[in-house]
Amino acid sequence: MNTTIDTINVFLPIFYLITFIIYSFDFWRGEKRFANSKRVFLFITLLLHLVYLLIRTVQFNHPPITNVFEIFTVLAFAVTFSYFILELITDIRGTGPFIIIISIVFQVISTILIKDSPNVKDVLRSNLLGIHVFSALLGYSGITISAVYGFLYLTLYKDIKLNKFGLIFNRLPNLEVLETLSYYSAVLGFVLLTFAITIGIIWLPKAFPNFRILDPKLVGTFLVWIIYGIGIMTKALGKWRGKKVVTLCIIGFVIAIISTIMSNFLSLSFHSFY
Amino acid sequence: MNILAVSINHHTASVELREALHLSEDEIRKLIHIAKEELFSEGLIISTCNRTELYGIPKDQKLDILDIQNFIFTHKNNFDVKPDHFQTFASTEAIKHLFKVISGIDSLLIGDNQIYHQVKESFQTAEEMQFSGFLMKRIFDAAIKTGKRAITETEISEGAVTVSYAAVQLIEKIFSSLSKKTALIIGTGESGELAAKHLIDKGIGRLFLTNRTLEKAEKISRSISAEVIPFNEFKEKLHEFDIILSATSAENLILKSEEIRAAMKKRNYSSMVLMDIAIPRDIDPTSRDIDYVFYHDIDSLNIIVEQNLAKRKFEIPKVEKIINEEIGNFTNWFNSLEIAPTIKDLRDYFENIRADEVEKNKNRFSPDDQEKLDIITKRIINKILHQPTVELKKINELRSSAEETAAKVGVLRDIFGINNNKEIKE
Repeated sequence: MNTTIDTINVFLPIFYLITFIIYSFDFWRGEKRFANSKRVFLFITLLLHLVYLLIRTVQFNHPPITNVFEIFTVLAFAVTFSYFILELITDIRGTGPFIIIISIVFQVISTILIKDSPNVKDVLRSNLLGIHVFSALLGYSGITISAVYGFLYLTLYKDIKLNKFGLIFNRLPNLEVLETLSYYSAVLGFVLLTFAITIGIIWLPKAFPNFRILDPKLVGTFLVWIIYGIGIMTKALGKWRGKKVVTLCIIGFVIAIISTIMSNFLSLSFHSFY
Repeated sequence: MNILAVSINHHTASVELREALHLSEDEIRKLIHIAKEELFSEGLIISTCNRTELYGIPKDQKLDILDIQNFIFTHKNNFDVKPDHFQTFASTEAIKHLFKVISGIDSLLIGDNQIYHQVKESFQTAEEMQFSGFLMKRIFDAAIKTGKRAITETEISEGAVTVSYAAVQLIEKIFSSLSKKTALIIGTGESGELAAKHLIDKGIGRLFLTNRTLEKAEKISRSISAEVIPFNEFKEKLHEFDIILSATSAENLILKSEEIRAAMKKRNYSSMVLMDIAIPRDIDPTSRDIDYVFYHDIDSLNIIVEQNLAKRKFEIPKVEKIINEEIGNFTNWFNSLEIAPTIKDLRDYFENIRADEVEKNKNRFSPDDQEKLDIITKRIINKILHQPTVELKKINELRSSAEETAAKVGVLRDIFGINNNKEIKE
């Protein structure tokens, strides 16, 4: 079973890379030749990834959420899966390369550094933790996608302003669509993060009685939550729009990444399980 | 394939001459009537602003291109038309030219699919006038198929290639649905009117027109269901418009940057598109520096037009490939019309000789042997004709040109003295 896990672990980045290349080729050439086949390949990649996550769960007797590299592979899956659903709902197929590349980064790091961990700390065997992690991961995939669409919005906005009518202009959906995609992804991410934070607040004093209120993970997460809250509220009230809101989404995403790096890799937080 | 064609088009003649030779629907009908009497058994006349073309299958085999040119000189003799102004085509080349025309690669504006509808209408006129017979109907079907394939299988008609349409394409890159947007057209000249029509076609929510001469704006508004604002009032409502397209002949700026800035503040910086397609410009170009204002003038729109034209040129080889395939299919069909009767004539010719000789000599044989004689002679004829039949069928299978087919069939018919003037019957 471990051999199967190791083999799929090696193949996953390759599958993501091939999917990325097909999507990029289609984006570059602007032909409709791969319009359907690229989606099929994306589905196969996701299926393989799902099988991998299930086998891992069965083999090690816990879901793959007990260390940061397990989290990364789930995040890679969640981001691409969210994109896949978004592509099916909206039928906007030109933005795939910009999302899939994020999954490639997470999956490559995970493939290289992930360890088989049959024995995990007791604190990580809580059911509340499972709900907390899965909602947080889906929330993060929401804000990741929001940041990508936000970045694409800013690029297209600038290109149109400067009369640059190249690939970005010809292939991307219009500004209103990009803004809407970014906003709704942010709303979904915000709701799921709120849920994850609520569960975390309930679970935290039981699991870690000696936690610090200024722990980098708590401060970072709270900051991300506040930023997205401000962005969503101002947009909903019609005060801010376009550039300002998407810039805020990108800033929120960057802070989320920095917070993750600080808490998990620099071991400055109770949240470090690696 | 005895089909001839002459064309006066943008490759050969000036716009004045093309305009002078343009035929109205009534003129086409009159000319078809005369052409039917004097020149062609069936044919087609196409006349658009960029081309006037005459295709036909001559009644008399001796009729040539010069006769058709003279026919046009006679009926449009008020103008200085010279033989140099004509492109002339015969046989497969005439059909190939028609396929190029209908697929848009011979157009002044490459990929212009308006020509597809114009050719279709010309065929319909020919059919109504009973100028379209068995062969022309088949050519019509093949031409329509070629045009459709060019549009659907290639990108020859993709992208805006006029400034007013490029403006609409650019607007669609900013807003997702025009049905919820309000637009204002300043100036109702040719460009303004065209842009208004494009916006209506794209389903703009509300369209307003303004013009210094109010009556002109009102006249156009009635034909395209738009609303009119007096020219001295539109600035007060500037903030209500998501799209402003200006195409006046004013010498000075109509909209200043400060006015745009004030309007943007009033609309809480909701995106506004300014399209200035006037020369000299109507809107202050520094407006582009205001957040959420997308200002574009004729130069920036021309970038889109040039890019799209270059893309269309890149598609020409793909369209030519389709044309060659369809020419091959048509030629194949046409050849089969000549070959099948030739095989039958050849077999009838030999069968008649055999039957005659058997009849003359059968009394020399016993009644039992007469039946054998019949079988043996038939077998001999079949063996003799096997190779020529195979060779004739090969012409079809190898998709030989109509000229090559006609030459081979002609030689065969001459050698055996088979009637060479059989007409293709429906």
